Amino acid sequence: MNAAGRAGALSIRNAGKIYDPEGLHVVALEDVSFDTQPGEFCVVVGPSGCGKTTLLNSIAGFDRLTSGEILLDGGVLARPGKPPLPGSDRMVVFQQGALFPWKTVLWNVTCGPIKQGRLGKKTAEVEARGLLARVGLKGIEDQYPGSLSGGMKRRVEIVRALMNEPKVLLLDEPFRALDALTKSVVQEFLLELFDEAPKTIFFITHDIEEAIFLADMVVVMTTRPGRVLKTIAIDIDRPRDYRVLTSERFVRLEREVREAIHDEARKAFEAGERELA
Amino acid sequence: MVDFPTRRRGIAGWISYSLRLELLLGVISIGTIGLLWEFARPLGIPVFSNLPPLSEIIQTSTQLLVSDQYWDGWALSVQRITAGFLLAQLIGVPIGLFMAMHRASFETAFPIVEILRPIPPVAWIPISILFWPTRELSVIFIVFLGAFWIVLLNTIGGASNVDPNHRRAALSLGSTPRDMFWRIILPATIPSIVTGMAVGIGIAWEMVVAAEMVAGRTGLGYLLWQSFEVNAIAQCIICMISIGFAGFVSSQIVRLFGSYVAPWQRQR
Repeated sequence: MNAAGRAGALSIRNAGKIYDPEGLHVVALEDVSFDTQPGEFCVVVGPSGCGKTTLLNSIAGFDRLTSGEILLDGGVLARPGKPPLPGSDRMVVFQQGALFPWKTVLWNVTCGPIKQGRLGKKTAEVEARGLLARVGLKGIEDQYPGSLSGGMKRRVEIVRALMNEPKVLLLDEPFRALDALTKSVVQEFLLELFDEAPKTIFFITHDIEEAIFLADMVVVMTTRPGRVLKTIAIDIDRPRDYRVLTSERFVRLEREVREAIHDEARKAFEAGERELA
Repeated sequence: MVDFPTRRRGIAGWISYSLRLELLLGVISIGTIGLLWEFARPLGIPVFSNLPPLSEIIQTSTQLLVSDQYWDGWALSVQRITAGFLLAQLIGVPIGLFMAMHRASFETAFPIVEILRPIPPVAWIPISILFWPTRELSVIFIVFLGAFWIVLLNTIGGASNVDPNHRRAALSLGSTPRDMFWRIILPATIPSIVTGMAVGIGIAWEMVVAAEMVAGRTGLGYLLWQSFEVNAIAQCIICMISIGFAGFVSSQIVRLFGSYVAPWQRQR
């Protein structure tokens, strides 16, 4: 999977982010460093408010860092003073979903490549229909997103991102709002797509089981200020399905992650209590 | 007569039964009011007995509904509504969008809006008559004012509440500032604009009637007031019903327009 020369090597070096440095001085990220190989599925777990989303937004070009830098295949994505710049090489799947409700599913998934002039309308539509069918969504092309279920929307959104052939796919707790059964189905679709054409994935969650099930590498972050506590390689063979969830190796890894994160979750909880008090 | 079902007849049977029941109840309620109205004087029912009986109204309407005066009133009121209401859209929507998108313009214009908006449009009638060269223009101006504020505020509200993730997604997908306006901000604002129109058309009818009563020489509102002045109460009531009907039809037209420009909201 780590074929040399394939695009999508993400390198985060001493990344730091301070909100409101003169006033409240909230340290969201502090000295975060890790690398992903091209085609690696990297999952970041951590308690709420640990800066996971800040990190993702900095990669996506929605937010700027206050120290350190983020590189993609050697090119600088983010560093202090550099204006944030989103691009189709880093597509984001949002927590609450961001399909355009006023356009049909087909328009939503084809608008990127057509706009960028990478594909003609016809080719894009053929490709989109193929990908949608691939994730079990045949025949919904002309519907509006509002008429789809949560699980369907998430799949459409993943298809929309993949249509742009991004170097990195960024997912910000994409399955948070789904019920447990729908979630496991959508996770399996994502894994199937990943196994067919591995590309670098940067996935945020606070669901430990989800993290291990999907990842090649799990990055555990601390509560504010967000730092990397531990990176854990997930050496479970692919393709994976629900059966690995009960395997001995899975349970052992789950315990390892849980032990790492437990104290942090408690700290975050107590900090939250203090903020409320 | 309604025959109450003694056994299950399936869903279709139940629906046709409940529809017939609805129809029957509707006929009973309207019929009762009609009868009370018609026989209010002999029965000595208060309030109603000050009105001409229903039969007189129906009789008057056969004369009024063929008169030119009545239909000219319709035509002129509809014209004024159309002109004032469309002007409110043409001016209110672009200004609202602009104010929502440019902070400085919002900060500059919003205090003026907040001072002028609480003034009821009816209170503008005297100034409007002084200000505009013709009565026609002053009536249109009052109608315009009635719809303008609500259209403006709804447009500002809709355009400033565009989901930031829609903007971000659009940027990632490669949209230019032009795309951002035409493909994201404008469609995201359309449902709010339509809501503003739906409320605005109602206020527009209120305003045209008020303005015609005071400043007009023609129109349904003027006809209504004139009928009252000459003590033609039956005619007065027919005008009221006509205006209510006109308002209802206008609302339906706005709704149709809404489902045409925002088809994605149809199922909800």
